[in-house]
Amino acid sequence: MSRFFRKAGDSDSETESSEDESMSSGAEDISQRPVATTAKAAPSMSRFLRTAGSDSSESESEEESESESDVPVVKKRTGLPTVDDTDEEESDEEEAPGVRIKSAAEKRLDEMKATGKVMENGLKINDWVAISTEFDKLTRMIQRQHNVSEPVPAFYIQTLVTLEGSLSTAVTKEKEAKKKMNATNAKALTAVKQKLKKALKEYEVEVKRYQDDPEAFEREYTPVVAPEPIAAGKRAAAPGEEDYEADDFTTVGKGGKVMQFTAEGIFKNLQAVQEARGKKNTDRAEQIRILEKLLEVAVTSYQRIRVLLALISSRFDYNSSVTTHMPIELWLSAQREVDQLVSIVAADGNYSIQEITDDYDELIERSPATEGGVVRIRGSIISFIDRLDDEFTRSLQNIDPHGTEYVDRLKDEKVLYCTICRAQAFYEKTKQDEPLGRVIMRRLEHIYSKPNAVVQALEAAADASEIRPAMILSAQGTTSTLIHSLCVYLYKSGNSLLRTRAMLSHIYHHALHNDFYTARDMLLMSHLQESIHSADVATQILYNRTVVQLGLCAFRSGLIREAQATLQDIFTTQRVKELLAQGVHQQRYQVLTPEQEKAEKQRQLPFHMHINTELLEAAFLVSSMLVEIPLLASIDSEEMKRKAISKPFRRLLDFADRQVFTGPPESTRDHIMQASKALQDGEWEQCRDLIQSIKIWSLMPEAPTVKEMLAKRIQEQGLRTYLFTYAPHYSTLSISLLARTFSLPVRTVTSIVSKMIWSEELSASLDQSGDVIVFHRIELSRTQQLAQTVAEKLAAMVDQSEKALDIKMASTGGWGDRADGIKGDKRGEQAQERRGRGERTRGARGGARGGRGGRFSQGLGNQMPGQTSQRAG
Amino acid sequence: MAEYDLSKTIIPYLDRHLAFPLLAHLVETSLFPVNEVQAAQYELAKGTNMFDYAVSLFEAVHPDGEVPPEFDEKRKNAVSTHERLQLEAQAVLDVIENPDVAQALRQDKNQNLQYLKDNYNLTLDQIRALYNFGQFQYSYGNYSGAADYLYHFRVLSTDTDLNTSAHWGKLASDILTGRWDVALEELNTLRDAIDSRSPAPILLPSGTAPEPALVQLHSRTWLVHWSLFVYFNHPQGRTLLLETFLSPTYLNTIQTSCPWILRYLAAAAILSRKAASLPASAAAPVSTRVRNAIREVVKVIQTEEYQYQDPMTSFLKELYIEFDFEAAQRELTLAEKVVGDDFFLGEFRDEFLDNARYLISEAYCRIHQKIDIGDLSERLNLSPEEGEKWIVNLIRETRMGADAKIDLEKNVIEINRPPLPIYQTVIEKTRGLALRTQALGVAVSRTPGQGQGQGQVGGTAAANVPKQEAQAPTVAVK
Repeated sequence: MSRFFRKAGDSDSETESSEDESMSSGAEDISQRPVATTAKAAPSMSRFLRTAGSDSSESESEEESESESDVPVVKKRTGLPTVDDTDEEESDEEEAPGVRIKSAAEKRLDEMKATGKVMENGLKINDWVAISTEFDKLTRMIQRQHNVSEPVPAFYIQTLVTLEGSLSTAVTKEKEAKKKMNATNAKALTAVKQKLKKALKEYEVEVKRYQDDPEAFEREYTPVVAPEPIAAGKRAAAPGEEDYEADDFTTVGKGGKVMQFTAEGIFKNLQAVQEARGKKNTDRAEQIRILEKLLEVAVTSYQRIRVLLALISSRFDYNSSVTTHMPIELWLSAQREVDQLVSIVAADGNYSIQEITDDYDELIERSPATEGGVVRIRGSIISFIDRLDDEFTRSLQNIDPHGTEYVDRLKDEKVLYCTICRAQAFYEKTKQDEPLGRVIMRRLEHIYSKPNAVVQALEAAADASEIRPAMILSAQGTTSTLIHSLCVYLYKSGNSLLRTRAMLSHIYHHALHNDFYTARDMLLMSHLQESIHSADVATQILYNRTVVQLGLCAFRSGLIREAQATLQDIFTTQRVKELLAQGVHQQRYQVLTPEQEKAEKQRQLPFHMHINTELLEAAFLVSSMLVEIPLLASIDSEEMKRKAISKPFRRLLDFADRQVFTGPPESTRDHIMQASKALQDGEWEQCRDLIQSIKIWSLMPEAPTVKEMLAKRIQEQGLRTYLFTYAPHYSTLSISLLARTFSLPVRTVTSIVSKMIWSEELSASLDQSGDVIVFHRIELSRTQQLAQTVAEKLAAMVDQSEKALDIKMASTGGWGDRADGIKGDKRGEQAQERRGRGERTRGARGGARGGRGGRFSQGLGNQMPGQTSQRAG
Repeated sequence: MAEYDLSKTIIPYLDRHLAFPLLAHLVETSLFPVNEVQAAQYELAKGTNMFDYAVSLFEAVHPDGEVPPEFDEKRKNAVSTHERLQLEAQAVLDVIENPDVAQALRQDKNQNLQYLKDNYNLTLDQIRALYNFGQFQYSYGNYSGAADYLYHFRVLSTDTDLNTSAHWGKLASDILTGRWDVALEELNTLRDAIDSRSPAPILLPSGTAPEPALVQLHSRTWLVHWSLFVYFNHPQGRTLLLETFLSPTYLNTIQTSCPWILRYLAAAAILSRKAASLPASAAAPVSTRVRNAIREVVKVIQTEEYQYQDPMTSFLKELYIEFDFEAAQRELTLAEKVVGDDFFLGEFRDEFLDNARYLISEAYCRIHQKIDIGDLSERLNLSPEEGEKWIVNLIRETRMGADAKIDLEKNVIEINRPPLPIYQTVIEKTRGLALRTQALGVAVSRTPGQGQGQGQVGGTAAANVPKQEAQAPTVAVK
């Protein structure tokens, strides 16, 4: 089945399967060869393999190896030329089509082969003189080959190896033999021996590689040399040949195998398969097929468990490469088999699968009766589940997310989820806490970032299965409670990594469901921001995702300041995609090594879990705009302007300012930049229209309400900006006019203005009788201004010094506390004096500025920096 | 108004006996049906040894019902236990009250124990009898007796758990007997005990299961609730409450586990306005924390708005965050009722109203230049005449006289506030810099290992600090 699939689906199926063929036939060859003759460690193959192999027809690719490996055999039999003749004939026939169209390289190769033949003949009759001359010829040809910078043909290496083998036998024979060779022959033998030694040394590497894996070596060579037309011809021939091969193989296999696959023989077969596992020449597909057959004949639970364990691991072994994913068919069968395994073990409590067991004989049947209780079998279901899940993620990473294949693959999540749930139920039943924690984490990871509908679908599927875990959606009511109960389990479990991840997932889930305050409080109380730097990369990514989602949540809930502050950090790095594992950032100063790149690729999230970065950027820039523009308008000195709250936004704004001509906005950024300018000019309607016309909002849930909220914020901030910018030009300003201009209710306008007056952002007061704002503007002289700046700078410097000292002393913990008291007292005095004077001068104006926030940042701030920054925001 | 009543929320954090006054108060306010409250009182009393009280309550609830017979039995039991415990305790007490012994006792508890053991053959177990008897007395309502025994026990015992328990018991007894000075003292020592236990497990990463921190949080939550009794009855209580509750640890406790305490925090902040605004006399120094109480409380209210809201917090929010005077006035009328009905705040109703009005008018005057008297009176919930009187008083009291003038013809107040001279601002800003620098210098020289010049510290700080802050929450993948 899998064979068929590969042919139909994969683009590279041809090479892959033909490779399989050559490998399998290679294995058969080896098994045929007498063990003693070669230095190669011939893997001990099971009996049926040998019998099956003996019948199979030789393929073109194995011809060479066949003939050369036969040589020593023949030699021992003291020359029976008939076998070789047939071989030669065959090979001649095979070569015939190649002869027709020969390139220079081909010709050389043929020439070499001819020389090789002569040498072989020489070997057979022990004519070392001939061999010596032929070998010289061959060496010269190789030299030529070198000159035209072509790789050393495999044939040459083959010859070397063969020659070496026969040489050593010849030498030993020579010693034993009573009758000596004649002098010339003996001399030639020594010469050949020396030449061969030299040649072997020269091609040491190649020889070694050849010995390790002849087929691979040969294959490596052929694509380089094989000219186009022949290659094409071969390719055309290949499928047909393969079909024939496959058919032939299976039929023979059936005939040969069925008899062997009996319940009694299972353990022997199993052991054979297990021994072959991991070896170079093992045909993995074949092994899987054997195991499938074994599974069919297995009768007792013990047998089935054993076979399933072997089968699942060999499925996972199928492709060893890290970069590609497991074939989907294989994955699906592995998934089914894991299910089967879990249900067998769950149904019968007498069998238990453990990672560590006492040694037991693999070959005998065991049952609860013989073991006296529970039968313990070595294996690990949890690692299968982990692997299954990982393979699923990997396949999603590798499939193009915009194709239908991706969607199809995504549908498999449902069965995977069911498997995980089933495993959870099993572990709950058997009360194995450690794997239960892991499996619950897996489950959580599948649902935490998904909207309710998807979770419901997954849960419905899980609900349908016969074994159900304790926590299911139908029992819990809502997805949030389900996730809550899963997380609570993990919080209580001992594993701190799982706990961290569960916490982050939980926060993420809250944020996704617009529960900003809960999410924020959980994040702050977990104190994760202090320890996350030491966590592993995957957890850090999860942390970043959580923080970003929290920012988006704040944005959706209309908490612009919080959103800005939360998203700020990740945007200042300018590596958003990389930090969220949604793509590798290209413009880097340092070049990544291939390993790093590979690692990076592996940790990428599958596409359906991505947080849309454009939407993220839009949210960040819009909230930055709403925070930054009024601030920009409120400060008048150049000095102050340099201090920006949001650097990325300020940079973009400066860039947009420098533009000579601005066309109609196209990208999201353009929209926001033009909107910012409109807001600066007090044209809030234009700003609103620009912001609302950004297309990406459609990706945000509840887009209309968000847009409405934004419109309201723009009105308010527009009013503030307007007041800041144009206050110097007015002495009074009617509130009703403001209300009309910004289409806000009078009450809101009064509230906003009052707030600005109270916090001393605006030096003005309200005149209730005329319903106007009266501005008090004092023009500062240059000296006064400078004096003020100096004073501010001084204060800032002292603040910084205190902070620096705080940080320095943090380790000893001494200064902060003690000095806090001192400072507090002193502040007290100051504030008191200030207050006193404030009253003297009617109105406690000066009092507010210095004191506000000062104490807060020292008191709470020392204890929990994260909290204050968040809460104060 | 029942929805704003906090009794139900608070009672779980109180001792059984402490809940009685609360329930008694509920009977008076008639917020809830009287028989329901009485039933609750009965249920509460059933678990104590105050049988007479329980029986009287039972009769009140079930006028025709037969008094359950188990009370008699229990009473007998209790009496016998009482006698037994008294005998045990008396033995110890005899020894302790001996003037020789009292003189011989020192600070060191272990030494004391040894002394008692050597001379009077008094063991730790016998001393524990004091505790048991104290507890028993407490359970049948003899609070002053309980306080005495528990006090003696605490002086002698070295068992920390029982000591803490005795602490709580003593505090409850003092509260219930109404000895506020003693209770306050007790409260402070208990607070120290709680705070000193399990040093700083708060900042540990989540990996280490901070069980002690959890216990501490619980104790603090309880302490916060119990202390309400003391703080709202002691003459100095309100400022002390602000002092305690606004300290970072307790503020955190309130924010995490009992946000409803914000009502009392807000009330205390409003009530202690006068104390805060008056220039501090040498006798009663007022800390910065209290002085800026309102500002801080407003900040907390704003952050916790999603968790807890009642008319009291809304009043402050409307006044200081939204500057919506109409809404503030509306909330004030509600808050007034809430205060009147509240067990702890009931007595402060007029004072609260007075202060709240003052706050409104202060904010109003600061923002406005010309104020219509009628309008302001309305904002303050006063009739125009009363309002005028109030405002005149206000102006006189706050020495606004020079700036604020009442124009009776137009019926407005005009407030003329000259802008602050620029040199004054500069002085304001630089004030105290020298002192702070000095403090820094002292701190630096105190740690010889890091003896760097002030200038250097300042220089590096400018470079270091912002970066650190910026880096804090993001994580680099590499």
